[in-house]
Amino acid sequence: MAVNVKVGLIGALDMLKFKNMSKVREAAIQAAPAKEITADYPINQKAKALHPDYQKLVVSKIINHTGAGAKTFVLESADDSPLAYFRAGQYLSLKLKLGDSVLSRPYSISSAPKDALAGRYELTVRANPGGFAADRLLEDAKVGDIFFASAPQGNFYYEELRDPKNILALAGGSGITPFLSMARAIIDGTEDFNLTILFGSRTEDQILFKGELAELTRNDKIHVIHVLSDEEKPGFEHGFLTAELVNKYAPEDYSLFICGPEAMYRFLDAELEKLALPRKNVRRELLGVTKNIAAHPEFPASAKGMSYTITVRQGPRETAVSAIAEEPILVALERAGLTVPSRCRSGECGWCRSKVIAGEFFVPPENESRRYADKTSGYIHPCATFPLSDMVLEVPGEYVGE
Amino acid sequence: MSKQYDIVVVGAGNAGLSAALHCASEGKKVLLIEQHNLPGGCATSFVRGRFEFEPSLHELCDIGTAEDPGEIRQMMEEYGVKVDWKPVPDCFRIISQYTDGSPMDVTMPSGKEAFIEQMEVYVPGSRAKMEEYFELLEETMAGTAYISASNGHADSKVLKEKFPNLLRTGSYPVKKVWDAIKLPKKCQDIMSTYWGYLGVDMTRMAFIHYCNMFMKYVTRAAYIPAHTSHEISNAMVERFRELGGEFWFNCRAEEFLFNGDRLCGVKTSMGVVECKYALANINPDIIYAKMMPKELVPEREKKLSAARNHNYSARMYTVYVGLNKTAEELGIHDYCIFLAGTSDSAKEYRDILGGYETNNFTIFLCNNIANPQASPPGTSVGFFTSMGNAEEWGDLSQEDYVALKNKYAKKFIRLLKERAGIDIAPYIEEICVASPWTFARYLGTPEGSVYGFETAEWDGMMARMMMLGSDYPIKGLRPIGAAGPRGDGYSSAYVCGRLMARLALKDLREEGGEH
Ligand SMILES: Cc1cc2nc3c(=O)[nH]c(=O)nc-3n(C[C@H](O)[C@H](O)[C@H](O)COP(=O)(O)OP(=O)(O)OC[C@H]3O[C@@H](n4cnc5c(N)ncnc54)[C@H](O)[C@@H]3O)c2cc1C
Ligand code: FES
Repeated sequence: MAVNVKVGLIGALDMLKFKNMSKVREAAIQAAPAKEITADYPINQKAKALHPDYQKLVVSKIINHTGAGAKTFVLESADDSPLAYFRAGQYLSLKLKLGDSVLSRPYSISSAPKDALAGRYELTVRANPGGFAADRLLEDAKVGDIFFASAPQGNFYYEELRDPKNILALAGGSGITPFLSMARAIIDGTEDFNLTILFGSRTEDQILFKGELAELTRNDKIHVIHVLSDEEKPGFEHGFLTAELVNKYAPEDYSLFICGPEAMYRFLDAELEKLALPRKNVRRELLGVTKNIAAHPEFPASAKGMSYTITVRQGPRETAVSAIAEEPILVALERAGLTVPSRCRSGECGWCRSKVIAGEFFVPPENESRRYADKTSGYIHPCATFPLSDMVLEVPGEYVGE
Repeated sequence: MSKQYDIVVVGAGNAGLSAALHCASEGKKVLLIEQHNLPGGCATSFVRGRFEFEPSLHELCDIGTAEDPGEIRQMMEEYGVKVDWKPVPDCFRIISQYTDGSPMDVTMPSGKEAFIEQMEVYVPGSRAKMEEYFELLEETMAGTAYISASNGHADSKVLKEKFPNLLRTGSYPVKKVWDAIKLPKKCQDIMSTYWGYLGVDMTRMAFIHYCNMFMKYVTRAAYIPAHTSHEISNAMVERFRELGGEFWFNCRAEEFLFNGDRLCGVKTSMGVVECKYALANINPDIIYAKMMPKELVPEREKKLSAARNHNYSARMYTVYVGLNKTAEELGIHDYCIFLAGTSDSAKEYRDILGGYETNNFTIFLCNNIANPQASPPGTSVGFFTSMGNAEEWGDLSQEDYVALKNKYAKKFIRLLKERAGIDIAPYIEEICVASPWTFARYLGTPEGSVYGFETAEWDGMMARMMMLGSDYPIKGLRPIGAAGPRGDGYSSAYVCGRLMARLALKDLREEGGEH
């Protein structure tokens, strides 16, 4: 043996010391008191309060925005739990029970983060053509109704570590809501950046939050330019939100934040190309999934009009669900009354991630946000996936219940 | 009516996945439940924009080459799990200060010969000592392997004859051994770098524990999967399904159920499941305090917990960045850069735990250096890792949370610029900061710690291994994971999961024999 190591003062004792390791350990254990074991950690409690499984909310007030065809729902905690704080721009996913279906819809929080600490969230819902859930909410929801909501979600917020100090917002219709929250957060000092909003509405009468916005622009960090598509009026820009308009109002060194309806995103694609901004300077709120998948250039024509059966395994339960090719799989599961996880409904957050045991499917490329290994091993995000055959699907559980 | 299983594995962390695979391979009816909608615990990934981020893995040790496989490559092959392993080029680069105050900027390659060679460059005249040191390391490794294989029944005669130096050094802290063999100070300083991977400084870490990790990283090199650690976890789940295993995602275990003092089932958020045995990828403090009847917790277990006194290790803090320039363009040439305030690991540890003002320690890793395909062409992806303390993050309010996360992020981004000359700030396309809150949320571990209990002093790895038979004597239930005998790390958790699954099956066989 070339090496002969001596660490302790007396080498021979080291051997004993080695053999005695378990005795030493046992002695340390025995020397401790046999007290009740606790596991209440402030870090875990705070993480839970910031990201609860779900929040039980009650409608405490409804504000009508006549003209804009929208309502703001003021929500408060329906149990003793405080509301989770959030970053201006985030959304809540509301669980709705409509007939036999249990479904969810994401709504940006329009109130300021500070309001959550005071026990209040505000969501603004606008009627939209063919909008199943929105119309039900607008017609049926009343003060005192209980809703289950997710914790605040999403990545559509100003991030000082990434964004320049100037944000140029493109908002269409109810897409103003996250920016309203941001503006309010700037006013109360929670956020610190300059916000210029190009806000597209059809007519002056239909402008959502017109009064509030005017009020907010008294702060010199906030600017609002109204753009009317169906009306030409002095003091307003006319037409759609275009690259030209962006360039007209763009401050130096800015990021573009976009939130609006599907048609607006579609229109903006070409405009964004003209602007040629680096990707890091363009952020889009959830795209949703196209309502007209049959028109999608990559959707297989042979699937049009087809209907299928999806066998759904969720924990110990198995349910057969009927589905059609033109609807996201998630919708079929919800229609069947299953409580399944969903949040963004755009393929982005991955919360609905499920395993395809058998069957064919289609994922629109614009909604593709899956992990690499998921794509190669048959995992899908059912909110943004369309069935192309009978399927067997394993779906995770959902904590929002009752 | 509830379903009946042989084994329920609670939690699909690295240990849980390994345990579930072992039991399923042995033909058992296994249910694996996981409170999240993803497998892996720490070993997962997330997508932001065009980037997929690796959340935890720096390097996995004990993979080895296909020709000379290490324990983990072999284990995955035995399980039938296929992973596209990519070697990590060097051991590490460290920018710090030698304990004599002079600046340190060294890059150490992997491979014994190369490591010694490079050490000679930085510390002229160190070769002979380093060679001697490696001999000691090799003997210690061989001895540890012998002890592990003997399942707690090592023959002291064999130990004395074949591994005398193991016996002489094993119970001492690393620093003591280094001083005893008169390893040059600068060599010590450089080799202290790895302390953060075990979360114990060199004055308190058992030599035998350090030796195991050091040798695995240096002689076998380190590896990462081509598509984040989610690739490993997903492949394990796929294989588990093939073997007939059942997996419920978004299902939380709430309580372990007993018939007398023997486990008989698990109450979950999806209903009650009956089983003969449960393996829980959960810290034992949580199991005892929250998940089983208090009267069934043995006195000795209360003492064990009290002796540990919530001494959890590595409350992680990380910053993930997706950059719109290539590593080359940004001047990033190293996979892993340790930015440290000092190479005195005890001081460094204290400074980290001292909070924002004193914490100058971060590891910056760029995935593209080991794997050019880690992000889309023209971009790069990486992350900073550091640690937090229980008070700074525990006393924090929700309103101040983002500000503290970002304050640390700015500091580390600045340190990278000042100390390594790499300026990433203007090129950040995606950024995401995770804190102990984040890890507490996704893993449910105490205070967001990811290394279990500190493996130091009386509670070191070897002592835990020797006392496998005494800890956690609950009939039909064994905790597994980083809090277990092997301590933290991917490989340790995989090994721990398999070891505990083996012991569980043995328990079942023995119980079966009694009836
Ligand atoms: C930033 C970072 C960097 C790291 N770097 C490295 C590295 O380079 N190399 C290395 O080897 N190691 C590294 N590690 C350490 C390593 O990841 C961990 O030590 C190891 O993964 C721990 O495994 P575990 O089995 O204890 O499981 P954990 O990861 O703790 O997983 C436990 C699982 O159990 C689930 N669970 C808990 N409670 C319940 C319940 N009641 N019901 C259902 N499910 C439950 C959790 O959701 C989780 O999925 C790093 C860790 C982090 C965070
Ligand atoms: S709900 Fe977000 S991906 Fe499906």
